[in-house]
Amino acid sequence: MKPLTPLERRKERKSRDHNQVDMNLVSLIDVFTLLIFFLMSNTGAVETLASPRAVKLPESHSQKAPKETVLVVVTANEILVGSRVVATVAEAMKVDGDIIEQVKAALDVEASREVIRKENEADSKRVTIMGDKDIPYRLLKKVMVSAARAGYSDVSFAVRQRFEP
Amino acid sequence: MPARRLKKTPAHLEITAFINLIVVLVPFLLSVAVFTHLSVIDLALPAQSNERIQKLDPDKPLKLEVIVRARHVEVNDKHGGRIVDPIPNVTSGPDVRTLALTIKGIKEKFPQHDDASVLAEDQVPYESLVQVMDAVRAGHQVQGKDLIVTDYFPNISVGDAPVIRQ
Repeated sequence: MKPLTPLERRKERKSRDHNQVDMNLVSLIDVFTLLIFFLMSNTGAVETLASPRAVKLPESHSQKAPKETVLVVVTANEILVGSRVVATVAEAMKVDGDIIEQVKAALDVEASREVIRKENEADSKRVTIMGDKDIPYRLLKKVMVSAARAGYSDVSFAVRQRFEP
Repeated sequence: MPARRLKKTPAHLEITAFINLIVVLVPFLLSVAVFTHLSVIDLALPAQSNERIQKLDPDKPLKLEVIVRARHVEVNDKHGGRIVDPIPNVTSGPDVRTLALTIKGIKEKFPQHDDASVLAEDQVPYESLVQVMDAVRAGHQVQGKDLIVTDYFPNISVGDAPVIRQ
């Protein structure tokens, strides 16, 4: 058989290429492009508080931005100071008085740290409590009193922002 | 003789590189995106550990106390006693709508006051406490497409509810 001339070869290739399936990606790209713009506009601000997965926070209208402070997390089972588990809820509920010694001890350690920058000194005596929405006030009170005894005089509650009235 | 016609093939865009970029960017941005924004409520100390809050101030005639009990919410003035009848809870928790209306009425009578105490019973869940604090702190009205926020009593302290003697 006679070899094809370059022109013929091109023609044949063209016809072969034409048979391949053409995927219609236009709508997919549309969606992705929109999604990218939406996500990019959403990731503007850096969050100082990461939303916890183990704690269901109550909702509130408050729009005050959280500050960089010592964090006490009260989940349904455990109490954490910083990111360390210091006591279980069952233990804390059994305590007779209002002070949970383990929480106070852990916060005392935090309080003993020196503040390096002067302008951060005002915030150093502030504690943010991230509590599960189902914990009873009795437990919350014990945590707050323990924090107060460790010198953390300003308490803030972390909440999930709600927009509808 | 048939007319010579230019055979038109649809234009092909080379978009593979663009799709690659998008496929990488979308999962990355999705993993970084924050869908629930957190905020904080500031409050004063629990009253029993801070004597200053407990002290009566004769210059301030109103000392608003909102007592959250297991079944109802009481709105009291520490000097003048009960302001309204106890507001019974609804199924989802404290009746914050009625409470908000009550607080609004009080704020209209005492516009210069910013302080309030929210006192809770031991077994009251944290969520109810936050809901009541929210209602006492500020009001939210829908006006057209905006949400108008009016401060009522933003300086809230939290404390123990007085025990009812049986």
